[in-house]
This record gives sequence, structure tokens and C-alpha cells, in this order.
Amino acid sequence: HRNRNLHLPPPTPEMLQFHQHIISDLLEDPTGGLVVLSSGLALHKLISSLLLQHPSSHGSLLLLSATPSQKHSILSSLPPTAPNPSEISADLPLHHRLSLYTSNSVLFITPRILIVDLLTSRLPTSAISGLIILNAHSLSDTCTEAFIIRLLRSSNRSLFIHAFSDRPQAMVAGFAKAERTLKCLTLRKLHLWPRFQVQVSEDLERDPPEVVDIRVPMTGYMVGIQKAVIEVMDACLKEMRKTNKVDVEDLTVENGLFKSFDEIVRRQLDPIWHTLGKKTKQLVSDLKTLRKLLEYLVRYDAVTYLKYLDSLRASESFRSVWIFAEASFKIFEYAKKRVYHFGRSDGVNLVGQSKGMTNRKRKLDSSRDKEDSSSTSTTSKIVLEEVLEEAPKWKLLREVLEEIGEEREKQALAREELVVEGEDDDSGIVLVACKDEHSCMQLEDCITNGPHKVMREEWEKYLLSKVELHGLPKRDKKKPKAAKGFGVLDGVVPTTPVKKAEVSSISKQENDALLAAASEISKRARKDIVVDDNPTTSLGGGGGGKGRVKGKNKRTSSTDQLSRNTDDTSSNKTAMSGKSETFTSDNESNRNDCSLVAGTSCEGELRGISAGKGILRKHAISTTTKPFINSKRLPPMHFYALESGRHMLDILNPSVIIVYHPDMAFVREIEIYKAENPSKKLKVYFLFYEDSTEGQKFEASIRRENGAFESLIRQKSLMMLPVDQEGHFLGLNPPIEPQSLSSQNLITRKAGGRKEAQKEMRVIVDMREFMSSLPNVLHQKGMRIIPVTLEVGDYILSPLLCVERKSIQDLFGSFASGRLYHQVEMMARYYKIPVLLIEFSQDKSFSFLSTSDIGDDVTPHSIISKLSLLALHFPRLRIVWSRSLHATAEIFASLKANQDEPDEAKAIRVGVPSEEGIVEDDVRAENYNTSAVEFLRRLPGVTDSNYRGIMDGCNSLAELALLPVERLAEMMGGQKAAKTLRDFLDAKYPTLL
Amino acid sequence: SKGQNGPSRNAILVSHRQKGNPLLKHIRNVRWAFADIVCDYLLGQNSCALYLSLRYHLLHSDYLYYRIRELQKNYKLRVVLCHVDVEDVVKPLLEITKTALLHDCTLLCGWSLEECARYLETIKVYENKPADIIQGQMDTDYLSRLNHALTTVRRVNKTDVVTLGSTFGSLSHIMDASMEDLARCPGIGERKVKRLYDTFHEPFKRVT
Repeated sequence: HRNRNLHLPPPTPEMLQFHQHIISDLLEDPTGGLVVLSSGLALHKLISSLLLQHPSSHGSLLLLSATPSQKHSILSSLPPTAPNPSEISADLPLHHRLSLYTSNSVLFITPRILIVDLLTSRLPTSAISGLIILNAHSLSDTCTEAFIIRLLRSSNRSLFIHAFSDRPQAMVAGFAKAERTLKCLTLRKLHLWPRFQVQVSEDLERDPPEVVDIRVPMTGYMVGIQKAVIEVMDACLKEMRKTNKVDVEDLTVENGLFKSFDEIVRRQLDPIWHTLGKKTKQLVSDLKTLRKLLEYLVRYDAVTYLKYLDSLRASESFRSVWIFAEASFKIFEYAKKRVYHFGRSDGVNLVGQSKGMTNRKRKLDSSRDKEDSSSTSTTSKIVLEEVLEEAPKWKLLREVLEEIGEEREKQALAREELVVEGEDDDSGIVLVACKDEHSCMQLEDCITNGPHKVMREEWEKYLLSKVELHGLPKRDKKKPKAAKGFGVLDGVVPTTPVKKAEVSSISKQENDALLAAASEISKRARKDIVVDDNPTTSLGGGGGGKGRVKGKNKRTSSTDQLSRNTDDTSSNKTAMSGKSETFTSDNESNRNDCSLVAGTSCEGELRGISAGKGILRKHAISTTTKPFINSKRLPPMHFYALESGRHMLDILNPSVIIVYHPDMAFVREIEIYKAENPSKKLKVYFLFYEDSTEGQKFEASIRRENGAFESLIRQKSLMMLPVDQEGHFLGLNPPIEPQSLSSQNLITRKAGGRKEAQKEMRVIVDMREFMSSLPNVLHQKGMRIIPVTLEVGDYILSPLLCVERKSIQDLFGSFASGRLYHQVEMMARYYKIPVLLIEFSQDKSFSFLSTSDIGDDVTPHSIISKLSLLALHFPRLRIVWSRSLHATAEIFASLKANQDEPDEAKAIRVGVPSEEGIVEDDVRAENYNTSAVEFLRRLPGVTDSNYRGIMDGCNSLAELALLPVERLAEMMGGQKAAKTLRDFLDAKYPTLL
Repeated sequence: SKGQNGPSRNAILVSHRQKGNPLLKHIRNVRWAFADIVCDYLLGQNSCALYLSLRYHLLHSDYLYYRIRELQKNYKLRVVLCHVDVEDVVKPLLEITKTALLHDCTLLCGWSLEECARYLETIKVYENKPADIIQGQMDTDYLSRLNHALTTVRRVNKTDVVTLGSTFGSLSHIMDASMEDLARCPGIGERKVKRLYDTFHEPFKRVT
């Protein structure tokens, strides 16, 4: 079915005019072109239209470097009648791959597979008519894509290449990036399609959607936190400026809001990174942390935000500058005040609460609570006041939804009065778009159960996690298994995080009060379990949501989940039944109505798209949950996470979109959606926090993109692209290094007197090395690359010479993990000249450390010590220090000069134990879940000799987590190791407080 | 060529040729003494080092070769300690690399005299040290081990480890967590959730 008989079908009717234009412009040049367009302009639809126009008679079309989500959206925007492009993956058998290559169809493929098949001549280049390369902004001179293009172009002159990028900012990062990208694509045509391009804006602004822009003020504390973070950020930036290491122009708070800021700074600092003091390096990482704090402020609820700060405080190195800045204190203080207030009871009520907060006082007589919190030592009364500030947008969202609901009811009435018409266009789904899954789930919960409940649950979870970690409320005394988890490892747990936290603002009393509150909650939870036949007792006392604890919470608090499962479910039932009792008050009928609508309209549709696609979960409000008491009828809604990168608009067909977290690309997506459905009524609400960095960031992102395009337009007018006589574009090869190497070789050979014809140099390269650019550069130098799977080493230069390549980052990492030691050991065992190649990167400094980092003593952690030790233990190991990829290629060529060519068949066998098929191949990414294997090998009790047994005996880490110690002992071949592992898995994480 | 006795056994022996090398004043963690030796620095029973500055090499490109030839094969570890003191390193370093490799010497590079001196000190101090610090043994406390394991998952940082630990309470609960629960953790975005979940739930072996 792969052979399609599609000969240039007319463009699909709903295709936008400017999309058609992009395609016809692109197809003008038979060699292809590079298209850069604004983000959000439906690149996936553009690609799929292009695929549909691919004539099947000319050869296969390869789609390179698409991310999984891009792949998914391209596939889903192809019409169902079109044949689906196949995907070539590494586990596809060779003959199958071959038949696909020659099938004249559209194929997804990764550069790594393609380059290997090209180098081994498995792929007949004439079978390929063209390449479509996505994410062109991430290409570089030496990347594998450039290698592929060079190989294909050299034997297939009619090849066309269409490259795309929808990240214009990334296309202007670095010097003459666009021109360099064109060169490595061997293309001449650069097509720029900014949002402000006439045709684009005409198309998108013909029938614009109705837009409502709502701004809501942040609460006082939020404003305070934002101000404090910006203050600290500014202070950090000032410090950076003082170092005189970074271009001052780039050091603005506005730039600091974007992720790309790190790149700007790193690019400037990388070449001199080794000369920087610890403080400057710390500043760079602090700025990153601060950016996250700003982002999370408007994204997370007050409790979650506090929890994040807690985690940060526990993990942040004591060196961080920002944590000790004066304003940072305010960040922590305000964040806490949004959640609870702590003070003495005899004092006057200290805080005036702002609106929209739940105020509930809980008096804690510490003497009464002694039975629970043995650590409490004060005698006076202390008050822990719950503040639980709700995010102002929550209320706003609810209001907007209610307004929509009301409007619809009115319209429905009006319509009924008139003639019944088939056009029930505006009763569609309301799409709420937020940044991430977490927000989706929470907002949904908010709408279903009410914000109070959500906050309470977060708060109780927060408290319980503190108690649980403290091991305070030994709730399971009666259970025999309760002692589990307090094993040896728990004893070993150091108290450092506790101390660290104490340094900061939490006093002991406050701590005690929190623990007491938590133990009260867990007591209630326990009561729930015990008196599960009489739920009303626990519910009655608390009033308004106090007595309820969801099963979820209990799970976090239980010491041994497995043994408690049954209790959990039963108590969950209790809680649920209790809830429904309290809530069967008012409008039951109304509620049922509403959920019914929601259930039918969203769930049915959703199931179709989410099946098997790995969507985290559906957000449609399900019919079974009990909605939050509400007199108003809410429209059916769907919560959508922008982060998921899935394009849902065409599928859900919403008539109202609420942009909860503003995002530029999504706004464009909405515009496209509207332009494609001109007759549809569409209303878009934007919810902004007034005077927040959120709004600032949104506007800045548009400015930045426009700026990037302006710069690209300028660059385009100045480009110099070499062309050969036939008008073919000359690739990269000439300018880099005009064959200095082969000519040099020629001279030495002549001097040696041997008149040997230019012998081809061969290098055997491990498959995994094709992630790096070195094979490409070696090939440019005229070496023949033979890709195989190597057990020992990365590059085999001769029968004697084996090279393990380490980039600087890898070097540090693999010293730490012991992998390098093992690899060198293997090389030394099988090769006469084992070589460790330390490869620096061209644009980074050529050195390990700054003079100031060397220190006064010989310390085991220093890289100097590790390298010295390696040299001492492997005196035969040769170390090669290479300035850059190109330097490496020179070194390889020169080392090979007097040696024999390597033997492929031999190299493959090296290090492979031959006894009955036990093959040492644990690191092969195609066959193994490498991160899981690595993870496994790092667990206590797991050793080189027993990890294979574990992998044979159980399927995954999740499965391993549940295995009893006896089973582990069988797989690991020993009780002791199994116990070590089991204890580690079950050890309780130490408290944050 | 080895004239060490009693006091000099714990010291680096320095050839008279090295007199005036400013590197010497940076050797502070180990005692050193001049001696009549063929190599520049005698670092132990079986190890010795030659010192070479790149700048010197550019003037006398045969120097290293003759010095290596002078050394007999008496030493197991023969270090060429190269002081990188010029900007344009590629060509001279290529030559030195090749000479060292073909004549069984281990090349070590230092970018300052302090760094070069530290290599000499370290090789002397570590003369009889076992390799365990580079064999992957690390701190054995719970948090370090947990960090060590969880940070194998790409992009998972120490803050995430704290978040995961305090949210789920134990590693087994983390490993068994649902995508939804992982996604509820502050600071852990969609991609990290997916990576974590895949690490835990995808089978160890993809193909059977």
C-alpha cells in the first residue's frame, strides 16, 4: 500500500493561502530551500501538505530530525486517506529497511541510522529523491545531517533538500548562523515568513476571533515575591557586570526572563570559563534558579510554591549567592505567609488578610499536644493560622466560565424562541490552555471541587509529607509491618538537610507547630480508617471540608504502601461517601445535567485521539466526580497543556478558548485555527496577572521574534554563497581545510620513496559515536568510516591502536561513575596501544581549570588527581589532548600514518565473551533501556556480576520496586546484596524540616 | 641511575637541568631535591617525568625526541609533562602527541606552572594509592546514593531529587509512581516526567 499514485493533488481546500505560497516558493528551486517561519504558524500542516505533494514515482522522501511530538502532529494532520509514512528504526531488520528505502514513499528516519546505512552502502542513494529536515536551527557545520547531505549530494545530484525551522531566535544565535546553516545544507534559498509578513497577516487578520483581555491583580504577597525576585536578579546581574566578562547590553532583567538568557551568557563565558571564579559561575546558575522562581510564582499555587522553595533550600549549594541576598529573605517570608501565619496566641492578630483567603485558626495548646509531638517544649500557646492564599486567576477563571455558561443559556433560550436552527456552533467545548500538566490537573480540580478544597488538600499533603519524613506519627503501631523502612539505612541518614533548613527562617517552635498540625491531620486520617463504618463522626466535627482526607494524601503519608493498600481504598470510599452526604444539599439535578454534557461531548472525542499516544491523562471532566457546589451551570470544558506540544484545536474544535497562561506560539495557533474556520464564531479570553513578569514576558517574546526576523532579513541581503559552474551550490568541504592532510601524506610518502597510490585510510567507528561530529570530520579529511558495534573502544585506528573518546563533560562523569576505569582496563587488555582521547570543544576554553581552582593541596576530587591515578594504574595508556574536532582528525591521521589498517571483523569480536552466547552488550541503546540499566547499576547491592541476573529476572525498574527480598535474592544470587537493595529502595527519605 | 637512599625516597628528585625552572617553587606538598638523574623528575621507583614547554618545543622541535631516547626503559610510567604556554597549540601539540605516543610516553598537559607542579606532586603522593576513587565508589550516605541513581535520568537535578524524595517518601515509591503523580511535582515538567517514567517502566531489554 506504500506505493501511492498521487500526482500533485490539488492543495487541500482548508490549506491557508500563505502556506500555499510558502510551498510554491520553496518548490521553485529544484535543489530546495530553507524556510524560517514564526513559531506557531502550523509548521506541521505545512510539512504534511508538502508530503502530499510528493510524487511517488521519483524516489523516497526522507524526513529527518523530527521530534516525537512533531512526528505525531505531522502524522495527525495528514488526511486519513493518505498512506501513513513509515518509520525506520534501528530494530528493523536490514532487508526490511532496504525495501523501505526503495519503496518510493515517505519515511521518518533518525540521522544516526541514515548515516550508518549510507556509510555501509546499504542505501542506494539513487532511491532517495529528497530530504525534509526539521529543526534546521540546530544544525551545525559538523553535525551528522551535514555529513548525510554531503554523502547524498556527492552521488545524487538531483536530490532536493527542504529544511525548516520555526524558531527564528535560534537562527540568529551566533555569528552568521543563517548563512552557515545554508552552507551546511548546501542550499542557496532562504525563505523568511515572519508573522508580520503581509500575506501572513492578511490571512490571519481577515476574520480575527473576538478577543477579551482580562487582567487581574496579583495578591500583595505575590507582588512582594515578584519584586523581591527581580531585586535579587538585578543584584546578581549587577555582580555579573562587575566581572566585566559579559556584554553589558545583554544583561537586562527582561533577557533574564527567557531560557535563552543562559545560552547568551554561556556563549560569552564558555571560552573563558576556566578563568572565571567560583562566584561568577555561581551567579550564572543563580540567575537560572531565579528565572524559575518567577515563572513558578504565576504557575503554582501558594503551597506548591512553598514546597518548591523548601526543596530548593534543601538542595541549593551553600555557595549560592542569591539565597543569602537580603531580598531573598522576603521571598521565603512572603511565600510562607501565603500559606500560613505563625505567632503567639497572646499577641494581637498580626496580619490583615486579603480577600479570597480561607482563614481558619487552629489553636494549638502545646501541652495538650505533647502526646503527639514529643519535641514540643514550649508552654505558652502558639497559633498556627492557615492562610492558604488562592491564586487570583482561579476565581477569575471560574467567573469567566460562569459568564460563558450564562451567555449560552441566554442564547439557547433566544434560539428556542426563534426557529430551531441546526447551527449550534457556539455550544462547543471551552478550551482552557495552561502551560503544564500540573496546572491542568489542578485547575480541573479547582473547578470540580472548589478552590478551598484544592488548597486544603495541597496543604494537608504538605504537612503530612513533613510529618511522614519526620517519622513522627507512628500511625501503624498495630501493624506488624510498621517497623519496615526503619532499616539500617534510615539510621545512616544524615541530618544535614535539617541543619541547612534551620539556618534559614524556620524556627524550632514554628517547626513544632507545623508538625503538631500535621499530626492532627494524620490523627484524623487514622480515625477515618478506624471508624470507617461511621464516617459522620469524623466529618461532623470539622465542618466545611475539614474532616476529609483523600486517599491520595494517605498514600504519601503511609510508611508502607503495600501493606496499607486495603485500608486506603476503604477509607477513600468512606471519604467519598461522606462527601456526597455533605453535598447532597442543593441543586443535584442541575449538577447532573452539567456533568452529562461534559461527559458526552469531551470524553467520546478524546478517547479517539489519546489512545496509545502517551498523553498523560484526559482532562475532560468525568461524569462520576462530584462537582463542587455551584449554582451556575458551567459549559463543557477541556484542559490542555501547552507543554505537551500536541495540536488539539482541530480535534476539539472549541468555540471558546481561555488562555490561562499566555504563550505566543499558542496565540498563533489560535489565529491559524480561526483562519481555517472563518465561519466559526470564536471567542478568546486572555488571563493575565496585572503588572506581572508573565505579561512582560509575553510581550517581550513577540518583540524578540520580530527582532530575530529583522536581523535575518538583513543577513539575507548580505549573504555570500559560492556556486559552481552549473549553478550548483558548493557545500562546506572546500572552505574548511583544503585537503592539507592528503597532500601532506603525499609528500611523506614520496619522501619515503614508496610510490604507492593514495591508499585509503580506514577508521572503524563505534555506532554510538555517530551522535558526535567526529566521524563527519574524519570523513571530510578523506578517511573511510566503517561503522560497527564495538565492545571495546570508540575508534579503532589500527590493529594495535584503540581510542576511547571523551569530551570534557563525559570525562568528569565517567571518572565519577568508574566507567572510564573499566573502559581503559578493557582497552589495555585487548590492544597494545590503548588511547584516551580528551577532546576539548573548539568554542570553549582549552584547559581544565582556572589557576584559582587548583587549590593548595592534593585532593582526591581534583581532575588532576584522577588523571594521575589513571596514568599510574595504566602506565601503557596514552593520553591524547585535542583542541578541537579538526585537531583530532589531524592527530588520527598522523597516528595512523605508519600503522596497518584496522580489521573490521576482528574489531567487532574484541571483548565479546564467546562462551555460549553471553554477549557483553549492555550499552547498546537500540536493544536496551540504557538509562534504566545505568540507574540499576547505580543502586546499592547491584554489582557488575549480578545486574544481568536482575534484568533477566524482572522486566523493569517499576517491577523491581515491588519485588520481595526473597525474589531479589534469587535473581542477585545472594541474600546480602538483595537486602542491601531492598533496604535502599524502602528507606525513608529524610525530612526537609 | 637511581641513587635514592633513606631521606630522598619520599622526595621528588629533580635533575640539575631543571635548575631555574620556575615550576620548582610550586612544588610545595612534597619535598624535592636535586640529583644526578637522566629524567627531569624522578617521581618514584617506576615513574619519571620530562618537562617540556610548548614555547620551547617551537624553538627546538627535536628536543623531546632526544630526551626520550636518553631515558632507558627502566620506568613503567614515563610522563611527558607539557606546559601549554602558547596560544596556537594545534600544530606543536600534534607533534608532541605523536612523539610521546610512538615512544611509549604518557602525555599530561598543564596550563600553568601550578598545574604542572601539581601533577608532579600528585604522582608522587599517589605512588602506591589504590584506584578506588576512579572506580566509581562514591559517598555511601543515603542522599548521595539516591542522587547518584536518580541523576542518571537526563536533566534530573538535585532539587528534583529532593522534590521526588519528599513527595514519595522512598525510592520504591518514586519508581512506582504514575505519570500523573510525577507531573504533580513542582519543577518537573512534561519531558522530565516522561524520561523518569520511561526509565522506570520501559523494559530493560527492548528486544527479546
